[in-house]
Amino acid sequence: MARIGVFVCHCGENISATVDVKKVAEAASRIPGVAHSVEYKYMCSDPGQQMIRNAIREKNLTGVVVAACSPRMHEPTFRRACAEAGLNPFLCEMANIREHCSWVHEKSEATTHKAFDIVRTLVAKVKRNKALLPIKVPVTKTALVLGGGIAGIQASLDIANSGHKVILVEKEPSIGGHMSQLSETFPTLDCSQCILTPRMVEVAQHPNITLHSYSELESMDGFIGNFKVRIRKKARSLDEKLCTGCGLCVQKCPSKKISSEFDAGLGLRPAIYVPFPQAVPNKPVIDREHCTYYRTGKCRLCEKICPTQAIRFDQEDEIIEADIGAVVVATGFDIKHGDFFPEYGYGKYKDVIDGLQFERLASASGPTLGEIRRPSDGQVPQTVVFVACAGSRDPAKGIEYCSKICCMYTAKHAMLYKHKVHHGKPFVFYMDIRAGGKMYEEFVRRAMEEDGVQYIRSRVSRIYERGGKLVVKGADTLLGSRPLEIEADLVVLATAGVAQAGAEQLAQRLHVSFDAHKFYAEAHPKLRPVETNTAGIFLAGACQAPKDIPESVAQASGAAAKVAILFSQSELVREPLIAVVDRQAPPLYSSCVGCFLCQPSCPYQAIEKEEIRDRDGQLIKTIAKVNPGLCQGCGTCVALCRTKSIDIQGFSHEQVYAEVLALLNRGEDNV
Amino acid sequence: MEDLRNKARELLAAKAVQVVVGYGRGTGASRRAVFIQSAAEAGELLFDNACRQNLAVYLMKPEVRKLGKMALVAIPATLRTILQLASENQIQDLELLALVPDASGAVTQLATFAAIEAHVVLQDNDLSAAEKGELQKYEIMGMEQRRQFWEEHFSRCLKCYACRAACPLCYCSRCTVECNQPQWIPVPAHDLGNLEWNIMRAMHLAGRCINCGDCSRACPVGIPLHLLNQKLISEVYTHFNSRSGMAAKADHAMSTFKPNDAEDFIR
Repeated sequence: MARIGVFVCHCGENISATVDVKKVAEAASRIPGVAHSVEYKYMCSDPGQQMIRNAIREKNLTGVVVAACSPRMHEPTFRRACAEAGLNPFLCEMANIREHCSWVHEKSEATTHKAFDIVRTLVAKVKRNKALLPIKVPVTKTALVLGGGIAGIQASLDIANSGHKVILVEKEPSIGGHMSQLSETFPTLDCSQCILTPRMVEVAQHPNITLHSYSELESMDGFIGNFKVRIRKKARSLDEKLCTGCGLCVQKCPSKKISSEFDAGLGLRPAIYVPFPQAVPNKPVIDREHCTYYRTGKCRLCEKICPTQAIRFDQEDEIIEADIGAVVVATGFDIKHGDFFPEYGYGKYKDVIDGLQFERLASASGPTLGEIRRPSDGQVPQTVVFVACAGSRDPAKGIEYCSKICCMYTAKHAMLYKHKVHHGKPFVFYMDIRAGGKMYEEFVRRAMEEDGVQYIRSRVSRIYERGGKLVVKGADTLLGSRPLEIEADLVVLATAGVAQAGAEQLAQRLHVSFDAHKFYAEAHPKLRPVETNTAGIFLAGACQAPKDIPESVAQASGAAAKVAILFSQSELVREPLIAVVDRQAPPLYSSCVGCFLCQPSCPYQAIEKEEIRDRDGQLIKTIAKVNPGLCQGCGTCVALCRTKSIDIQGFSHEQVYAEVLALLNRGEDNV
Repeated sequence: MEDLRNKARELLAAKAVQVVVGYGRGTGASRRAVFIQSAAEAGELLFDNACRQNLAVYLMKPEVRKLGKMALVAIPATLRTILQLASENQIQDLELLALVPDASGAVTQLATFAAIEAHVVLQDNDLSAAEKGELQKYEIMGMEQRRQFWEEHFSRCLKCYACRAACPLCYCSRCTVECNQPQWIPVPAHDLGNLEWNIMRAMHLAGRCINCGDCSRACPVGIPLHLLNQKLISEVYTHFNSRSGMAAKADHAMSTFKPNDAEDFIR
């Protein structure tokens, strides 16, 4: 006979303000099988937990129902308390009478009734709970870092410095990411390359880091501590071991007029190229789309000129397989391009550029060697308009969020312009100035007050060309919305920061979730900001939301710390809430008929085949088997199985059915 | 017909198969399954337009299976069943022979799943014009009308499970209706239990039914069970562009997880 203990929590006043907890506890004591029922102000406090431990010992309880908050909040707490008193933790269930009842209803009889109904269903369930043992799995102490921008670099270095192996995968030919494209960085105006490139070199030289540049994640299987990944190393068309990075091929390549990705389309590069002189690895790659040889079958000049014969035109993509224990996703962001702003003439007028293009104009390594010259005719612009919030905070454009970095980099751009063109006139059109951060507000003030940047609180309605000038139309909202026109030589749009193209596909490969804007979702917005909902996969940098450099670096170190914590144990303990295929007495052996329709339904490839043989080794039957290491307990196979041969431990058919019946069959045992 | 009998004699005499499952004389003009185990009995085999039963159902009956390797006289639905059962890991390649008589009486022997697949793609596997017409009549009914339609039909259901016994794809060794811990489907033949049983039967065949129609023919009270199945067949075809029983290794429309699924409920 079951001996169930019911513990009703007041949660201060969170529950007791709308639910009559005394009545619930009293009514619960009358449910058949309930041997003990009490209420207390804070069940999760130490005296509350002690009540549970004492009752388990004194009354020999066979199951516990704690009627309190969501199991996501305190189920681990109470299960631990039960375990301390010698009761299997999986014989403890939470009845959520806070989120599901007291918080969402007014004080009334009905609210108390509902709280009791919730308790009753959990009592019905817990009577059918079985003692379960945790699953132990080994941990592979190698981390995979996806993305070699500043976040990926920081995470890789931190993990590597804590003594673990790291595989860093970067899809571009060089690591460095967006930060390598920047000129100076706010709020100190130190040179981006000068602080970044030493880190890049450190990555390349670190004995614990294996760098795969020009590579992408092909697929990933497995689970925390035991992922298996396949990495596609795209063909660079040269033998990296032989190449010395002398750059002769780059100089001699005849097709030199290809728009440079690194210079955001403002510069040109050859078909065989290194993205920028400080690239890591400093080995060229052949852009097969533009290379004369791949297009026409003739040329091979680079092959002839290479002093080490490193060029390999017939090289194919290579697939690298690796065992991984944890993943840090640091794939970064992109900015809005293209025809997103027809009203601003972006893409139509050469002198309407985006923030990243301005970075290249201002950069000493850029196409103008750091002189601010406009793209159309190479003239130094006398009036420059900077438009903050181009796309961001604009529900009409489908981007409700603030891109966060634009206020700061716009101030920086205006300042850099003024430092380089002393007599120039910079205007900033803004909605609000968001300069929260150490020395950020001071930085913006400096732009306004010391460098004479004129800030106009206005959105820009239209930009069009008139007599060789770009007319920017707005309305100064601080001066009674007076209509305003500025004739500019150059317009810089701080376009919205958006998720990388392909973010969704990568998320699906990794089984992580993402928000409506395809930014990856953290497990908890406040308390678990670097974890994803998939165990063992962590986030760093702007792939989660637009972020500046200090934030990206901080999050990367956070993610690295999480990886180091994971790798500090030799075994992982997992909850045994997984699917199992039933076994029965002969002649059935199992009700599974081996149709294996469950196999393609499993998102985690956890379903295998198992042969049941007699003692002579004769095959009796082939049935499905769930790999306990891979199963995530999602229940898809359970729903699909026609013979109901699969059950989730802890949420079996029998348990759930009993819960539903308890709700439907309201007997005499009411409040 | 003589071709078929000769083929059976030849196969049995050469011990290429142990049993030929075909059609023989039934009550009146009807035909019933016969299990020919020796060349001498082969004369009992018949083949005409009255041969409608899907004999693949016997592939899944243990008492028939234990007779040994089987040659099945197959109509189009039988061939689809063989491929569907193969895709569900219930039969192995080379485990059986299919004998397909054509209109002239000539018999084609198909020995492998590959040969059956090649034959099946050439036959018409869509619902017939008459079936489509009947389905259209059903589809123009409103939801309330449909509910009444089925309530009336299901009220006559005896829970005899003849539909289950006739269906070659209802091969589970323990049917859900026989689970009693918990008791998912009420045992008595009352309205609720009948509704639950019949809906479950149809849903378990969604994306699997190969449209032989034997469930309706087996029903002693004449419930048009094939309508439910045909509706599901047409839905699965419309939404997933998938038809069951076309290949021995197939993606199952209703049970294949695809990360790029248009629906975002599982991600």
